Amino acid sequence: MPPMVNTIIDWVSTNIPPWLWILLVCHFAILGTVAYLILLERKVASWVQDRLGPNRVGLGFGIIPIIKNWHMGGLGQPLADGVKFILKEDYRPAGVDKVLFTLAPGAMILMVIVSIAVLPWGGTYQSQKTITVPATATDVTAYAGTQIPLGSSIVGDPTPVGITGNQYTITYQCSFQIAKLNIGVLFILAVLSLTVYGVVIGGWASNNKYSFLGGLRATANMISYEIPMGLSVLCIVLMFGTLQLDEIVKAQLHNWAGIVPAWNVFSQPLAFVMFLICIHAEANRAPFDMAEAEQELVGGYHTEYSAMRFALFFLAEYAGMITTSAVLVALFFGGWDFPGLRGPANDPALSTSLIICIARSLVFFIKTVVVIFVFMWVRWSLPRFRFDQLMMLAWRALIPMSLALLLMTAIVLTIFHGNISDGRASLSLLLANIAMMIVFGVVSTWIPAAPATNRKLKVLGSRYSKTPLPAELN
Amino acid sequence: MKDSDVIVLEEPKLSLGDQFYLPQVLIGLGTTMKHMFNVVLRGKDRVVQYPEEKREDLPVEKGGMLLKTYRGVHRLNKDEEGRVKCVACFMCSTACPARCIHIEAAESPWQDREKYPAKFDIDELRCIYCGMCEEACPVDAIELTHVYDIVGLTRQEMIFDKSKLLRIFDETVAKEPM
Repeated sequence: MPPMVNTIIDWVSTNIPPWLWILLVCHFAILGTVAYLILLERKVASWVQDRLGPNRVGLGFGIIPIIKNWHMGGLGQPLADGVKFILKEDYRPAGVDKVLFTLAPGAMILMVIVSIAVLPWGGTYQSQKTITVPATATDVTAYAGTQIPLGSSIVGDPTPVGITGNQYTITYQCSFQIAKLNIGVLFILAVLSLTVYGVVIGGWASNNKYSFLGGLRATANMISYEIPMGLSVLCIVLMFGTLQLDEIVKAQLHNWAGIVPAWNVFSQPLAFVMFLICIHAEANRAPFDMAEAEQELVGGYHTEYSAMRFALFFLAEYAGMITTSAVLVALFFGGWDFPGLRGPANDPALSTSLIICIARSLVFFIKTVVVIFVFMWVRWSLPRFRFDQLMMLAWRALIPMSLALLLMTAIVLTIFHGNISDGRASLSLLLANIAMMIVFGVVSTWIPAAPATNRKLKVLGSRYSKTPLPAELN
Repeated sequence: MKDSDVIVLEEPKLSLGDQFYLPQVLIGLGTTMKHMFNVVLRGKDRVVQYPEEKREDLPVEKGGMLLKTYRGVHRLNKDEEGRVKCVACFMCSTACPARCIHIEAAESPWQDREKYPAKFDIDELRCIYCGMCEEACPVDAIELTHVYDIVGLTRQEMIFDKSKLLRIFDETVAKEPM
């Protein structure tokens, strides 16, 4: 390689912090994925309904030579959709609140994109570098600190190389994620609950009854399902004593009995099921699509939106799905854990190879896409809930269950003195989860029936109602 | 109707599995997964890719359609000398339940008949393709062809006049002789 290229690579790796290029890659990857998730959604919908789905628009779009007649299974469809959204008339009805109407979709997508920041993509990357310390530098470690990429930290002491005395080898580590926040999962919960503002503001600003009702429903939905979601996350946080997603992933990087990976889904299956239900509700999708409700609210909060503004709402919904699915994977499926990708036994998140870090990110991403497929599968399988059923599921079932589960986790951890890496503790948690499911099954038959909302009213004077009409009394 | 004739159905009681909801959800997911597998593995056999594959080309077991009995767009037949066969008797427009045939008669320029249609318009959007016109025609002048893929960009375009109906005859006569 010519020395010029080496200099450029050296300058870039020293002066561009790793989180910046991870951020750029993540951002474009997520936005691109969202477009293709829409294609996947349409494909899944049509497969469930015994159709083939969009399979006409190839990447040649009928104009690019050679490939213009290739269909490619509909790969060009998302791009064609995007072009359509941009070129459509951006219609704004009379009587809307102009500022809020424009702000709402932007606010929603902004919050969702911000929330991808703390996802732990690939563990910790460790690298080595040989530096030449100038004679003017007095403190070698301090000088070495200026020669490593921004945002990374030096491990150990600089080791002298050779006989000249001014060359040192330094080892540095950086975390393979955008931001290593110590409030991790709390940050995601906080930011994702802000996305409901986009829905509410959009519904309010549209000056339309349907949109307004959609916004109200979204609020009620979000408030109800935040609680069991937070509580089921808390069960995991309690187990490892940290909010950082990368630490939680790291704690899952070993095997029980040598074969079963120590993923939390095996020790906390009930928490996993509750978290899965809650992120479905959080995404405002069928069977929890109260805010959109095509059947009775004509699209709900986005009834009045068209063109790119509508597309932003749409993108935010799918990007939110990516984030929540990624959190699910990190919390319950060991994040990027995959045979062959773990580091040394004393620090399994560590890797000295960039290739392995990227492979881990890909594994994490593929796991996320599988969870998103489950989202779509559920959407096209289950009928919608009525609003009172939705509330009942949260307040009468999920919240008591998650509170009891939290208590149970705390008790098991106290018995084992908080030592969760012990395989017996995990087995006890699993048994306790199963026991709780059985207890809930028994208890649920005893608790009083739900209030009879939407009960059948017997029309006065009909053959079902023996009460005579006032006219018949005389 | 007496009260004893009325069958009152009670809501079925939910079993424990139904109350827990999740077992039933899993059964439902299994059903849709079965459909997904069927389409992804055998989809090409089950779905007709319309513009490339047409139902009339397929055998009946694979969802084929018998075109011979299909009633599509109309045509006005011509006789051996290439003249329009219609004698403007108004039988078809009288029989038409959708009132979509509009004929204006004029004196025939030929010796063998008294009248011929100066104007013959069919509104293909109003037509219900019942075939009563071809039943009513005494000289077999109006016929329904097997062509079903007619399109137009405006409503005006879909009102077929005499020249267009005669042109359809020219186009279809080879495949569907009178």
